[in-house]
Amino acid sequence: MKKSYPYLTLLALVVFNFLNANAQISKAEIRATGLTCSMCSNAINKQLKALPEVANITTDLNTNTFTVTLNENTSITPKTFKQSVEKAGFFIGSLLLTSKTSSIKNEKYIVVDAKTMDSEEVTYQVLDKGYVTDKEYKKLSKSLKKMGTYLANNEDDFHIKILN
Amino acid sequence: MKTVILFILFLSFSIQAQIKVGDTLPNFTLKNSNNVDVSSTSFKNKYVLVDFWASWCAPCRKGNKELVKLYKASDATKFKILGVSLDTDIKKWNKAIEKDNIKFTQVNDPKEFDSKTAILFGVEELPRQFLFDTKGILIAINPTVDEISNLTKK
Repeated sequence: MKKSYPYLTLLALVVFNFLNANAQISKAEIRATGLTCSMCSNAINKQLKALPEVANITTDLNTNTFTVTLNENTSITPKTFKQSVEKAGFFIGSLLLTSKTSSIKNEKYIVVDAKTMDSEEVTYQVLDKGYVTDKEYKKLSKSLKKMGTYLANNEDDFHIKILN
Repeated sequence: MKTVILFILFLSFSIQAQIKVGDTLPNFTLKNSNNVDVSSTSFKNKYVLVDFWASWCAPCRKGNKELVKLYKASDATKFKILGVSLDTDIKKWNKAIEKDNIKFTQVNDPKEFDSKTAILFGVEELPRQFLFDTKGILIAINPTVDEISNLTKK
């Protein structure tokens, strides 16, 4: 009996992931901010490396950006990146994600600009509170004030701006 | 189950393997800017400040200015500074040495936080400094310039 538990857990995970089918992010570009030099600390790198979904991380020291390549078909969400950066003691200044266009038409993603997505892959920025700087969030709250969902700050829906 | 717990314990200890006050100066050899090997053992019988930094680390560059002043004012027969840069880009490292007018010994371990010496010392953020006494015993981590002057006067 004891031995079957791992399989049950696995099954539960598979079902859970299926229900949470999401945008299958392939790449994330995270710019971190904070009171101290974010690249001078290994903390963010360590937190990101510890994620099982992460395949590779490169850093751009000039732009304070971490470029994270993800394994295929993971169910990682923007929230995981936010949590990792905050656990390291920093904040997200901007978060750009790349996904297959076909996988983005998901109810959790609310596209704020009416851009058509005709290429196979799409790069987009997450605009929610905690994913942009405080200053930008204030600006966005004004420009998106007609969007009730944006102001509601629901942790699990994401407002995105298409960049390509 | 026991082995799992032991393994986790082992992991947690190895993660926190950071040198602490009272430990001896680890042995390591790295190349200086003239591509010549420099060994940490060559600093024996002197006070030595091991200074971890990188050209892209703004607080480190600020600190370099202070270290340059300190080094000028100190007795080189008694006190040495060993700068260890974690720069992957050697050119940028050399440029920074020139720009900051650094005259003390500089070596490079070019893998950022994955560098052997960074792991050896448990360096997780920059700048990070370690002051060893004449017997090679670690006496201070991240000392201020004043603290360095006082500690090395003995």
